Amino acid sequence: MDANTVLLAVVVITALAFDFTNGFHDTANAMATSIATGALRPKIAVALSAVLNFAGAFLSLKVAATIATGIVETGAITLTVVFAGLVGGLAWNLLTWYFGIPSSSSHALIGGVVGATLIAAGASAVKGAAIVSKVLIPAVLAPLAAVLVATAGTYLVYAITRNVPDGTRGRGFRYGQIGSASLVSLAHGTNDAQKTMGIITLAMITAGTIAKDAGTPLWVIVASATAIAAGTWIGGWRVIRTLGKGLTDIETPQGFAAESSSAAVILAASHFGFPLSTTHVCTGSVIGAGLGKRLAEVRWSVATRMVAAWLLTLPAAALVGALAWGGADLIGGALGVTLVFVVVLILSAGLYMASRRRPVHAGNVNDEWTGGVAPAPVVRGGVA
Amino acid sequence: MSEYVDLDALWKVLVAALLGGAGLVAVYSLALVGLSNGRAAGRVVAGLCFLLVAVGIVLGLYVMLAK
Repeated sequence: MDANTVLLAVVVITALAFDFTNGFHDTANAMATSIATGALRPKIAVALSAVLNFAGAFLSLKVAATIATGIVETGAITLTVVFAGLVGGLAWNLLTWYFGIPSSSSHALIGGVVGATLIAAGASAVKGAAIVSKVLIPAVLAPLAAVLVATAGTYLVYAITRNVPDGTRGRGFRYGQIGSASLVSLAHGTNDAQKTMGIITLAMITAGTIAKDAGTPLWVIVASATAIAAGTWIGGWRVIRTLGKGLTDIETPQGFAAESSSAAVILAASHFGFPLSTTHVCTGSVIGAGLGKRLAEVRWSVATRMVAAWLLTLPAAALVGALAWGGADLIGGALGVTLVFVVVLILSAGLYMASRRRPVHAGNVNDEWTGGVAPAPVVRGGVA
Repeated sequence: MSEYVDLDALWKVLVAALLGGAGLVAVYSLALVGLSNGRAAGRVVAGLCFLLVAVGIVLGLYVMLAK
């Protein structure tokens, strides 16, 4: 096995690892409200979402033009740049997961690639106008559109079903919520697994393993679908908790309105070619669901922390991407990339260990919100 | 501003999202009202509403995949 093959292998593994974090970070988008309202039991919810993400990845096999290519000059992309960009995205995904903040995986990946390109090829290789029009402005508009739709939907739901008996109402909206959450999961698999497929295909083209106009190989599709589904199934409980319990207290009709709003905004945006982040849309929908029922039920401190994280996503991921490229370049070749990869593995393991001290899991994800991601330790059974 | 924002796409997204996200949600709610009203006419209305929602979902999936 020559050095180039080792390099490509590390890039592919990193891409699949990113795909995995994309899955467990974004489980919340589809399932947080269904878990919070009790429409689905936590483990059932993540399993359903995983299956739909897997299926969604196969639904559309047109290679998504990788998000990276529109943002930086194609000529600047080397295997090391792709690798460093993925590391930037991966690091930001893990860090925001630790703090339980829903943040956009696409933004993290774009930030990483931009950072790596900046240091590798200079500012001229980065398309600034494209970043503003394709990344920054949609990031502002996506949550606003979702807030609007979800507020209207929630208001209508409560106004129309005011006199419907609780039994019919509860059951009806429970099914409705499961349906609309499933739709969000399916759309997530279709859109996000494609990004990883695109990145891996791009890496293989860059390495000369496949021809420039070659389609995505079947094993790449299967591997990407499996990685995102596995991540979804593991469940990013910390993010699920913030989105389902932290932002606002959600009832079934609100959950139904929020998920329907998310599904509608995502599908409409994908049809009209307006690049929106699933995470931004879903967060906006949950806030809208809070606003539509009774104003000021939203915990704005939690929302503010999220927005702060969104603002940091691009620069922070870019910094890590640049550092990763610098480190790999300093040592050089496949060895440099492999060493950076090992460092990332060690840091990720450290973060995982830290999360075990105050874990959030299927058993406590719905506990009362006490201000932090991890629920206050409860002494059960009354023994002090 | 419009150099950076595809305003044409934006308002289409908003209208489509409102129709699908708030409109179909309202139709689904009407179906529940129909179901709980106890009369045959209520159930017919509910059936029509559910059908409309189903058509909306299929249309949504179709436009996502037809790209």
